[in-house]
Amino acid sequence: MFPFIVRRFVHLIPTFLGATLLAFVISQLVPGDYFTQLALQPNIRPETLARMRAQYGLDQHWTVQYIRWMGSIFQGDLGVSFASNQEVTDVISRPIKNSMGLVAMSIVMLWLVAIPAGVYSAVRQYSVGDQVVSAFSYFGLAIPNFFFAQVIVLMLFVLRGFTRDAFGYNEVLLPVAGMTSSGWLQMGFWEKRYDIFLHMLIPAFVVATAGMAGFTRVLRGQMLEYLESDFIRTARAKGLGDRTVTYKHALRPAIIPFIAGIGGILPALIGGAGLVEVVMSWPGITPTFLFAIQRQDIYVVLGLLVVSSLLLMVGNLLSDLLLAVVDPRIRYN
Amino acid sequence: MKRVLLSLAIAALAQVALAEPFVWPSEWTVAEPGEAVSGGTLRTYDISNPRTFNPFVSAESHASRDLLMLQGASLLLLPPDSDEWIPYAAESFEVSEDGTVVDLVLREGIKWSDGTPVTVQDYYFRYLAETDPDVGSNAYDSWFIGEEQIQMEITGERSMRFIFPVPDRTAFPVIGSHFPAPDHILGEIYREGGAEALKQAWGLDVDVSETVWTSPWVPTEFLPDERLIYTRNPYFGEWNVDEAGNPLPYLETYSFELVQDQDAALNLYLAGDIDLFAPRNLDDIGVINVAIQNGDIDATVIENASPVASSQFIVFNWNYASNPFKQELFRSADFRRAMSHLVPREAIVELVYGGAASPMWSNVYQVLEYWVNPDVPKFEYDPEAAAELLAGLGFSRRNSDGWLVNAEGQELGFRIITNAGNNQREQIMQLFADAARDIGVNVEAQTLDFNLLVEQLLSVGEDRPFEAILIGLTGGSRDWPFGVNVIPCGTNLHAWNQDPSGECLSPQETLATNLYFEGRQTLDTEAAREIGYEIQNVLASIQPLIFTVSPSAHYSWLNTVRGEHPAEFINDLVGSREAVLTYKVQ
Repeated sequence: MFPFIVRRFVHLIPTFLGATLLAFVISQLVPGDYFTQLALQPNIRPETLARMRAQYGLDQHWTVQYIRWMGSIFQGDLGVSFASNQEVTDVISRPIKNSMGLVAMSIVMLWLVAIPAGVYSAVRQYSVGDQVVSAFSYFGLAIPNFFFAQVIVLMLFVLRGFTRDAFGYNEVLLPVAGMTSSGWLQMGFWEKRYDIFLHMLIPAFVVATAGMAGFTRVLRGQMLEYLESDFIRTARAKGLGDRTVTYKHALRPAIIPFIAGIGGILPALIGGAGLVEVVMSWPGITPTFLFAIQRQDIYVVLGLLVVSSLLLMVGNLLSDLLLAVVDPRIRYN
Repeated sequence: MKRVLLSLAIAALAQVALAEPFVWPSEWTVAEPGEAVSGGTLRTYDISNPRTFNPFVSAESHASRDLLMLQGASLLLLPPDSDEWIPYAAESFEVSEDGTVVDLVLREGIKWSDGTPVTVQDYYFRYLAETDPDVGSNAYDSWFIGEEQIQMEITGERSMRFIFPVPDRTAFPVIGSHFPAPDHILGEIYREGGAEALKQAWGLDVDVSETVWTSPWVPTEFLPDERLIYTRNPYFGEWNVDEAGNPLPYLETYSFELVQDQDAALNLYLAGDIDLFAPRNLDDIGVINVAIQNGDIDATVIENASPVASSQFIVFNWNYASNPFKQELFRSADFRRAMSHLVPREAIVELVYGGAASPMWSNVYQVLEYWVNPDVPKFEYDPEAAAELLAGLGFSRRNSDGWLVNAEGQELGFRIITNAGNNQREQIMQLFADAARDIGVNVEAQTLDFNLLVEQLLSVGEDRPFEAILIGLTGGSRDWPFGVNVIPCGTNLHAWNQDPSGECLSPQETLATNLYFEGRQTLDTEAAREIGYEIQNVLASIQPLIFTVSPSAHYSWLNTVRGEHPAEFINDLVGSREAVLTYKVQ
């Protein structure tokens, strides 16, 4: 196992270099740069733009820029954001943390709902309950997250109309945007946690519903396969109860692929929750990434790609190792 | 010792008492004097974080500075109801007869938010830092007229002088809006560590409560991507009062929700979580009006307040050596007049903007009403007039494909491009192309990446890589609304003619260039306006830029927010209110 791990780590180096080079080359293929938009401001002189480009090294050949950038990466420096004049590590660390929190909560939601739903669907195959779970699964798969989030916000506004007419209560029940309320800094420790939790509910739910669909369907299939197996028949013949057979003997092997996939959660966490973050104004990775692309704040874009690539590679390695741990058929010798 | 201290205290008090505060006129707000109440929080939003808290590091326009400064101690102030600067942090100013020397006297009693008095040295330090190329301030350019620098001198304990190489309207507002920078903090850093140290100071990682300002509110809490909170600067009210003598500003707190996009801001507004919202279009206004009708929010909507401060135009390439036929065509004023006749401005207003826009005829933004010449030649939508002009150029018969051709059989047509993703521009381009095709002009409409488009527009040479472009410019001034980089031949946004020599190609260009410099050097606003009118006349007569329409600006606020401008003042340049005169009621 140890030589395998070492070998994998060694393989990460060319992969990482290749990925960063590719990202850098692609970034250079995009016409213009951060300062191009400023060129249409009638009061900014071309000399000023040239000076700014020189200040940020954008007047150098791309190979020089890449070598400088790689040199700084190996010293733990991802460069400087043109838009905020901050270290890229400072610019991206907060959104990464925010996205991780959101995705972690959505994963918890996903597992809490999807595992029982998948098991239920398998045990009660073709029942009304199974059909309902299937219908929700397909709904979750079909509807885009950003649209679903907007639909939920709209429903909250409709609900406000109802509560106002019925009870004279003219407030929206859950926050419709952002991560904290305006009085957040004056709140106590637990109040702050609760405030973030409330803001997180809609986006986390939306993200979870998309994953729920696939998870439930796959777990249902896995469970059905194992419930038909010889060892389950043997367990039933020995007189074990339905609950024990289902949860102890069938679910444990059925869940193996998901446990092995835990390594994949790492890049998923860093990948953020996608456009739902934009719609709900969650200060996560996707808005930062999109904003940086839009402005051609190139080192922020590359910084996020570097961190994502690293975590993807480490995550894949973890997945392989976990698979070896949970599945006795797999050994890395 | 006690007596000395007492004397000093009395002297200090007398100093403050003698200092005349700036009185904010009640005409600038709909509130009656004494009606406003103090306290409360105004909640608004912004789409992005501030770029920095350092007043010198700003590679962009003044957006982040405006967000942060919120009207600090600029030397002069441009009122919402006039284009004449008035004394503000300067209690008085005097311009020499030849217009090259401006003397100002600093008002007494102005303090930094840490209580340190503001001195002329604070203004001088800012000047020094902004004119240091190593600092890289965005204001660097504004301190130069051509190659010559505007000079600043300290002439006394409270007086300063600016010396211009020549009289210049575009430099005067630079002095008028010159802010102090804290010499006792940033000046120390600059003197000890030079430009590099100054650039590193007060980045987004600074504890904002340690920064000092002269603005009505000062930043006190900053959560990146979430919220930026300002609280009242206690010293601002010592030199800023309303007509009833109350210290300003009224609001205790000014809070910016930092949202990811406008839709999220609209949701917050509809939920009653922010107080102000700038509707982007009639769709936003419709949603807000429904919320008002349903009783969800109690708000005011100002629809079509004014045209926005930007332009949208079609420009033809005069430097097209590889295609002499089209080069000659694009250089023909009659051809461009004909094309202007084919821009269906009224249809664009209705179809693209749902009525929330107005036709644009000259190179001055419609919102700058004072400067807009209402009598410029207008080539209104008239396909027949266009066809006549084209016939005059020899295009009177059509070929087998239905396109106009001249006697040599050369087909009349061109390719027009605009930036992909800008739906409004794409629609405008399409409406124009359709109108042109109807009379036999073969217009091929395409979209292109914005940066590529800009590269083509800014290219210089005898053979530039485009035929026609639909694009716009932003950034204008109420002092002299003609772009320094646009009107004079040889400048980088003189987009129709970028001949490598920098020479003008038509007598009208030469005349407009001369008028531009004459107008810049005319400090009398009325006289400058006359010259500005003439520039518009000259350029509109030859249509080097064919202006299309100007979309409208809209405003909305919850009715707990008061103190807005009278309706006639509200426009895209001055906004809907003066922040310091804004107050909230419960």
